[in-house]
Amino acid sequence: MFTTQLLDVVTTAGVLYIVALGLLIVYGVLKIINLAHGAFLAAGAYAGVVTTELGWNPWTAPLLAFVIGVAVAALVEWRVLRGLYARPLDTILATWGLNIIVVQLITLYFGREIHFAESAIGRAINVGGATYSEYRLVLLLLAVVLGVAVWLVMQRTQIGIVARAVIMNEELAQALGINTGLVRFVTFGLGAGLAALAGALLTPLISVHPNLGVPWLINAFMLVLVAGVSLANLALAALVLGGAQVLVSSYGNPVLGSLTIVILAVVILRFRTITI
Amino acid sequence: MRERWMDHRSRSLAVLLVVLIVAMVPAGAVQSQDKKPIVIAVPVGLSGVNSVVAPAVVQSGELAVEEINAKGGVLGRKLQLVPLDDESGPAGAVKAFNTAIRQHKADTIITMETSAARNAGAPIAERAKTLFIYTSFYEGRACGKTLFVNAWVPEQVVPPLIKFMTDDKKVKKWFAVGSDYAFGRGMIEAAKSTIKGVGGTILGEEYQPLQQSDWTAIISKIRAANPDGIIYSTSGGGPNIDFMKQFKAAGLKMPVGSLSIDELTAEAGGNAAEGVYYTGDYFTGLDNPENKKFLDAMKKKFAAGLKTPNSLSEPEYDGVYAYAMAVEKAGTTDAEKLVQVLPTIVFKGPRGQVQMNKQHHAPLPVYLAQVQADGKTKVLKSFGLVDPGNQCPKLK
Repeated sequence: MFTTQLLDVVTTAGVLYIVALGLLIVYGVLKIINLAHGAFLAAGAYAGVVTTELGWNPWTAPLLAFVIGVAVAALVEWRVLRGLYARPLDTILATWGLNIIVVQLITLYFGREIHFAESAIGRAINVGGATYSEYRLVLLLLAVVLGVAVWLVMQRTQIGIVARAVIMNEELAQALGINTGLVRFVTFGLGAGLAALAGALLTPLISVHPNLGVPWLINAFMLVLVAGVSLANLALAALVLGGAQVLVSSYGNPVLGSLTIVILAVVILRFRTITI
Repeated sequence: MRERWMDHRSRSLAVLLVVLIVAMVPAGAVQSQDKKPIVIAVPVGLSGVNSVVAPAVVQSGELAVEEINAKGGVLGRKLQLVPLDDESGPAGAVKAFNTAIRQHKADTIITMETSAARNAGAPIAERAKTLFIYTSFYEGRACGKTLFVNAWVPEQVVPPLIKFMTDDKKVKKWFAVGSDYAFGRGMIEAAKSTIKGVGGTILGEEYQPLQQSDWTAIISKIRAANPDGIIYSTSGGGPNIDFMKQFKAAGLKMPVGSLSIDELTAEAGGNAAEGVYYTGDYFTGLDNPENKKFLDAMKKKFAAGLKTPNSLSEPEYDGVYAYAMAVEKAGTTDAEKLVQVLPTIVFKGPRGQVQMNKQHHAPLPVYLAQVQADGKTKVLKSFGLVDPGNQCPKLK
C-alpha cells in the first residue's frame, strides 16, 4: 500500500510536470498565459489517433504531435500574437480564441465522439512488491528526461542564454542587440510543441475527444502560477500539489482531491513572498 | 384635411394579402383532415452534449416514418417527422417543445433527450394535451398523464447484471465506482441495493468528479480493498474508457460490470474495455429477424451517412411504430383517446416485444453483453422481459 501510494504521488507529479512544461516556457519568456494550451494538448492526442489509423508505431505519435504543435504555433505567432505583445491582456483573448478555433476544427474533422489511439504500453509490472502501471513509470522517466533536456537547453546553449536574458530583462536584451522577436517566435513554437507532445503522451491514460485538454489546462495553469518561471519550482509544485491531490483522494475522497490543487495554489500564492 | 388612410404601396400590399388569404382558403379546405400529414416532432440534442447520438435518433425516426408511409400511412394520412434542436438542455427544450406544438402543430412528440430537457418539456406537452413518448433510458420515476416511456429504467438493467456476476462470476465482495453526478450515483445506489439483496458485501464506494480524468487514487483504493468484482457507472462516453484504460494498465484483473458503457464507446476504446459485462435492451448484434431487417433498411437508406444505431436511438423507431399503431387502432390523433389505447399496443421490433402497459413504462427484453478484444460487443444471453417495477403508482 505504501509503495503504491508513493508511486501514485511521483507518477502523478510526473504527468502534471509534462503537461505544464509547455505552458511554463511560454509564460516565462513571452509573459503570457497561453490559454490555447488545452487545444494543443487535444491536437497532440489526435496525432495519436492519426498514427493509429495509419498503422504507425505508437511512439511516433508524440513526435508527430510535436511537429504539428510547432507548425500551428509558428503560424499563429507570426500572424496573430506578434502584433499583440504590447497589449498583454489582449493575448489572453487571442489565445483563448485560438483555443476555441483549434477545438472546433478538430470537432469538424473528427466529430465529438471519442477516438481510439493505440497505446505503446498497456501492462503492469512489479515494482518493490507492488504491481504498478508500467506506462505511468515510463511517463515519470519522460518527465525527468524532458525536464533535464529543457534545463540543459536553457543553461548550456546559445538559444537558452538568449532566452534567459529575455526572461530577466527584455528591454535590456533588446538594447544589446538580441532579436527578441525571434526568441518569442521560437519559444512559443517550443511551448506549443511540448503541449502537443504531452497530449500524445496522455492518450494511453485517457480517451481522446476534442475537449480533453480543459481539465489539464486548469491544473497546469495553477502549477505555473505557483512555480513562476523556474523549472525546478515547477517540479516542486507538481510534487507538492499533485502529491496532495493523490493523498487527499486516497485518505479522503476524489471530490475533495480535485479541489486540493486549486486550494493549495491559492494558499501558496497568498503566502509566497518571493516575486518572479 | 386628414391624410389618406393608406398610401398607394400599403394599399397594394393589403390587396395582395387579401388575394393570398382568399387563395389559401380552398387550398386549406382541400388539405383538410384526410390529407394533412400527422406531425411527429423530435426535439433532440442536435447541439450540446447529446449531439453525438442525436443524428442516429433522427435517422431511426426517419426510417420508421418512411416505412409506414410506404404502406399508405396511418388513417390515410402520411406521417411527417420534424426534428428540432433542444440544445441538450432545459432552456432549449422549452423552445423546441413550444415550436413543435405552436408552429408545427405537432400531433405527438417522440424523442430521446437529457433528463433536464425532458423535465422542462414534458409539462409543456401535457398542458397542450400532446402525447409525449420518451425514448431514452433514464433514472426513472418521470410521470405524466400524456408521458410514456419505452426505454429502460435502472430496475430493468441493474439487477440482471448484478445477479449474473454474483452467480456466474462468483462475485461476493464488490467495489463500486461512479462519476459524481445524479445519474452515476443513482445507478450505483440501485446496484448497491441489489448487491445487498443477493447477500453480497460492498468493500468500497468511490466517486470521481466529472471533469477529472485521472483515476489513479481510486484504482489504488480498489487494489488495496481487493474485491472479487467491480461495478461502475461513469458519465457516458469517454470516462468509461479513461477508467478502463487505467484499470487495465494497473494490472487489475477482476471482472467488471458497467452501468454506463455503450456499444459505440466500447468500440471507440479499442481493447480498453475488453471483458467488461453490461446489460441493455438493444445491441446491433441482437440475433432476430426484426433487428436484421431494421439494420439492413438503415444501411440501405442512409448508406455512407449512417450513424450506427444504438440503445439510445433504436427506441425512437419503436416509438414511432407504437404511435402509428395506436392512432390506427383509436381511429384518431386525439391524445386523450390515445392515452387509453397506447398501453394496449404491442410492437415487436428490433429489441423484441415492447408494450408500454406498466404505469406508462414498458417491460423490456434485457440482454447481457460483453466487450470483445476488438472493442465490438457480443450478446451473451437474454434475460427475457424484465418489469420496470412501480415507476408511477398513480397511473394505470
